[in-house]
Amino acid sequence: MSGEYASTLVTDETTLGERVASTVIGIGLLVFMLSVLAVARVVTEEASVLGVGLYDFLAGGLLAMGLGVFVVGVGSALGAFDTTPDETPGTVTAGAFGIIAAAAVWLATLQLGVLGPLGGFPVGLLAGAVTFVGLGLLSEDIGSTLPAVVVAVAVSGTVLTNLLTPAWLWDPEWLSAAFSGSMTIPTLTAAAALLTAWAGAKSYGGYGSEGRQAGAYLLVALNALGMLAVLLAVILFIVTKGIGPAFEGFSLYPFDWPFVLNGYSFRPDVVNGVFPAIVGTLYLVVGATVTGVPVAVAAAVFLTEYAEQGPFVGAVEIATNGLWSTPSVVYGLFGYAFLVPRLGGTTSLLSGILVLGFMLMPLCLITSREAIKSVPDEYRDASAALGVSQWETIKSVVVPAAMPGIVTGVILGVGRIAGETAPILLVMSGGLRDDAPNVLGSFEFTSAPPFVANDALLQSAPALPYQLYATITSGVSAENAVEYGWGTAFVLLVVVLSFYAVGIATRMYFRRRLNHE
Amino acid sequence: MSNTTLNETERPDDPDERTTTVGESEETIQPSWRQYHFDGDSKISVSGLDVHYGDDHALKDIGMEIPEESVTALIGPSGCGKSTFLRCLNRMNDRIRAAEIDGEVSYDGENIYGDGVNLVELRKRVGMVFQAPNPFPKSIRENVSYGPRKHGDIRTGFFDRLTGRDDREQRDRIVEESLRKAALWDEVKDRLDENALSLSGGQQQRLCIARCLAVDPDVILMDEPASALDPIATAKIEDLIEQLAEEYTVVVVTHNMQQAARISDQTAVFLTGGELVEYGDTDQIFENPNSDRVEDYITGKFG
Amino acid sequence: MLGSTLFGRLPRLERASGLSTKAAAMLVVLSLSLFATFALFLLNSPLAAVPLVAFVVAVAYGWVAHQDVTARVVTLIATTSTIAILGLITVFIFYRAIPAFRVMGTGLFGFTDPVTVFGVSLPAVETFWSTGSNTYSLVPMIWGTLVTTAIAMVIAGPLGIAGALFLAEIAPPMVRDAVKPGVEILAGIPSIVYGYLGFVTLNTFLFENLRMSNLGSLFLVGLVIGLMALPTVVSVADDALTSVPASMRDGSVAMGATEWQTTKSITLPAALSGVSAAVLLGIGRAIGETMAATVIIGHSQQLPQPLADVFASTETLTSLIASQYGNADGTHLSALFAAGVVLFVTVLVLSVGARRVELRMEKKLGGDP
Repeated sequence: MSGEYASTLVTDETTLGERVASTVIGIGLLVFMLSVLAVARVVTEEASVLGVGLYDFLAGGLLAMGLGVFVVGVGSALGAFDTTPDETPGTVTAGAFGIIAAAAVWLATLQLGVLGPLGGFPVGLLAGAVTFVGLGLLSEDIGSTLPAVVVAVAVSGTVLTNLLTPAWLWDPEWLSAAFSGSMTIPTLTAAAALLTAWAGAKSYGGYGSEGRQAGAYLLVALNALGMLAVLLAVILFIVTKGIGPAFEGFSLYPFDWPFVLNGYSFRPDVVNGVFPAIVGTLYLVVGATVTGVPVAVAAAVFLTEYAEQGPFVGAVEIATNGLWSTPSVVYGLFGYAFLVPRLGGTTSLLSGILVLGFMLMPLCLITSREAIKSVPDEYRDASAALGVSQWETIKSVVVPAAMPGIVTGVILGVGRIAGETAPILLVMSGGLRDDAPNVLGSFEFTSAPPFVANDALLQSAPALPYQLYATITSGVSAENAVEYGWGTAFVLLVVVLSFYAVGIATRMYFRRRLNHE
Repeated sequence: MSNTTLNETERPDDPDERTTTVGESEETIQPSWRQYHFDGDSKISVSGLDVHYGDDHALKDIGMEIPEESVTALIGPSGCGKSTFLRCLNRMNDRIRAAEIDGEVSYDGENIYGDGVNLVELRKRVGMVFQAPNPFPKSIRENVSYGPRKHGDIRTGFFDRLTGRDDREQRDRIVEESLRKAALWDEVKDRLDENALSLSGGQQQRLCIARCLAVDPDVILMDEPASALDPIATAKIEDLIEQLAEEYTVVVVTHNMQQAARISDQTAVFLTGGELVEYGDTDQIFENPNSDRVEDYITGKFG
Repeated sequence: MLGSTLFGRLPRLERASGLSTKAAAMLVVLSLSLFATFALFLLNSPLAAVPLVAFVVAVAYGWVAHQDVTARVVTLIATTSTIAILGLITVFIFYRAIPAFRVMGTGLFGFTDPVTVFGVSLPAVETFWSTGSNTYSLVPMIWGTLVTTAIAMVIAGPLGIAGALFLAEIAPPMVRDAVKPGVEILAGIPSIVYGYLGFVTLNTFLFENLRMSNLGSLFLVGLVIGLMALPTVVSVADDALTSVPASMRDGSVAMGATEWQTTKSITLPAALSGVSAAVLLGIGRAIGETMAATVIIGHSQQLPQPLADVFASTETLTSLIASQYGNADGTHLSALFAAGVVLFVTVLVLSVGARRVELRMEKKLGGDP
């Protein structure tokens, strides 16, 4: 019965074609990674691998890949390997190679200086269109390997024949940048290696639907890996740069941590620290939480428990989304126009608190509403069936049940506003200083309205993110301004990411507990 | 009428294997399913199948021969593992995170849990219809032609049109044929380009059957295909299952014993704990079961 | 004003207020004092503290004596405050932008040559941005925002969606469980930290290795913003992809389609609106991103010559506001508010658009029984 099917259910062990293809992918990954490191100038053209110059090594690897893909592609077309290619490589593959061909031809006309910058454009387009249609008419195994082979051989050829050397320079008049060979060569080899490895992965899967899957998965997995690597590198870079300055003079016993516990004294003999900024950020965060969160939770309660879907709720939803997405600098402008003139006429801690509170409100409103919505109706019904009033039910059943979600939302929201710079730049500012703002000790009663005064609240105060900005713009007078900046960046990163980590961990904990019960 | 078991004729080495896999259950009485004999060829043969979900032992040492071109019903109380068993037959359990599967399931004599099995090929041959209708949010035509298009049997791409390989006519033929087999053609022939989600629940389920037939499988697995439908739609699906058995091997999970009695040729009874307690001709199972537990279950004393 | 909508809208409240004159009096005091506080604060009077105290007292009394009604009213006031805040933002930034519109007219969007855009002819301006001649045209900044956003989305869009595909469709459960929270944490890195990194290291790196004529370019700003937006796009797109019912994927896989075919033909199209909402969200973030642009860019309020020169040092709307607010007054300050208006309106339109797209997706998948 199984004879009526074209392909077999059980396939044998690895074939020769698969082995060649996997070798191509392996070399491709190596060439790609080395090329990326070369673009980042971590390794340069002066380095040598196995006795060969780095760039020649990359080109050689690319040539080997091209040959390998040529063998599997042509081998498949001649029937030497057991593959299941489609009749056409498909519009996406043909289109992608068409775009590559168009770009290559256009850049080549620019390089050769013929036809002018715009004259080469139609020629490039024509080349792209011809490539697109031409590839589409080939069978899948040839149509998706041959162009990759051409790219690999072309790139490695220009490097190996010294047509393109590290000393080469392209300085177009219409760009404020110039491209040197030492940057261009690894960029090209990285792209070509990726393309050829993709063709290799497709061959490894035997073309057809599984070949496409293999090719796509290679690229998607590489993208995910690369993305994580870059983002982790960003964090690691800041940590390695910042951990030194941040822990200068640190001792566990007797406990001393000058960078965190000192102010900025402008004295060369003392470690300058960020203590005032930490205190300022603390006041900002606590103040914004106190002003923003209760309003947000109250509104979330009203929207889920009292209000019925209608134009009012619709308008509130639009307003919430609008507030949620309003750029922080616009909040800053708003605070500058609305709060600052009404709160003492100068930039002040209180304005900063209120603006950040306004920003925090929509963030917490959305998450609290979700949390309250997800409380099962059975809870409400059970409470109502016992004759408990609606507000009692909300107070003693609904809100406690939604508490984990609300708390998570608040933590994540606070994490976001703790790192905000743009709004406090406009409404609070506050430079480097030696002493921390003392809000709690500055309350005074006065005879004139508003009868209470607090100088510390109505003065500008330092905050971590703004301090980092100030380090950049003013260039702190001390010699080690850059180190001081890295230290501040490190502390800020630790503060903000801790909020996020705690928030996400809380959410995961409660979600898991919910799933188990 | 050959009353020899397939185990003895086709797989002489199996009894030994069973001794090693079953181990201590050797002493216990041989369950009646071991002795089930039927006419015709076996399509799927299962032996020593164990499934664990983490610590939960969901299926225990299942063995079963499923004859071709017939309807086999799997019945039992909920949580007895009948759906798990069904999903082992096309390896859909592979997609479940914690599932651990041991034993052998052979399709036309080839072990689908062996090395180098092509899952795409397997699932082309062993189609599946799910408990709740799950049409794709696409048009009816696209739903039915989805399988053949994905397997490259029908080509309608840009370059296929360019080179005159366009298979639109063949696609429409397959769509019509599959919808007719699924007894849905007359109801939808004028609105093939409408979204499949606009159909009623019963129509959606028949669309899912048509979608499955379009791939031209040998075996169709159905996981409680009528449990989400009203009685009229259920009756239509039941008629359809009986018709399909003329051409296909149908394995259907149901919790409805009357349904199993109406539509199936043979019935396997799973009871709580993931055991296959009895397997035999449907008439025999319902009229004269060997096992007291099965009798209790069928007469409603135990569920 | 507040009281009348309340009583009209909420029958239960009507009944409750009918029960007790004390509660009704409390509500009147409460709403009047709130209104007075707001009005006096708007008029910049220190007397605003007086009605504020009255409001607090009324709420406190209500909380003790009539908790049910008070809770309902207080939560309603909190809800209304969302609309009020958005309204205040709109009014204040538009109001402060009016002088610039009055001085410049449509010249606020004028080029150095008179041009006609969408049938509106824009007058010529001598220079784009000059406090000396009191000329302010936002065109170079709009162009800068447009280019940086485009570069950022070319990076964050495709790579972000591919990253989400990896998390939702390919990654083994263990990898997913570890990476997803990691990505969400990465979304929290403050923009000023990225800015510092760009300012201290990347700016000089590109300056040396691309032999640039200036520090800070639209290209680098776009690159950094794209990197910043990446985790957000990944996280939101992943949520959209995982919200596609598993039964749909099972249906496709059970027919022998490969996982990739299932992703391409079933999951991605079904999640398309959610995924595009993720990209729109990313665009909104990129447009509004301030600090990274402010510290990296070179602050020259000129159009790049030629326009295609993405390595030129120019300005974006956000960096314009952040860098000039300190020494601006009069029309100059008003022009900064005009830049804020352009930002605010653009992002608001995008956010409403994204929400619509999301609602459509919910409806589409919700119609699936």
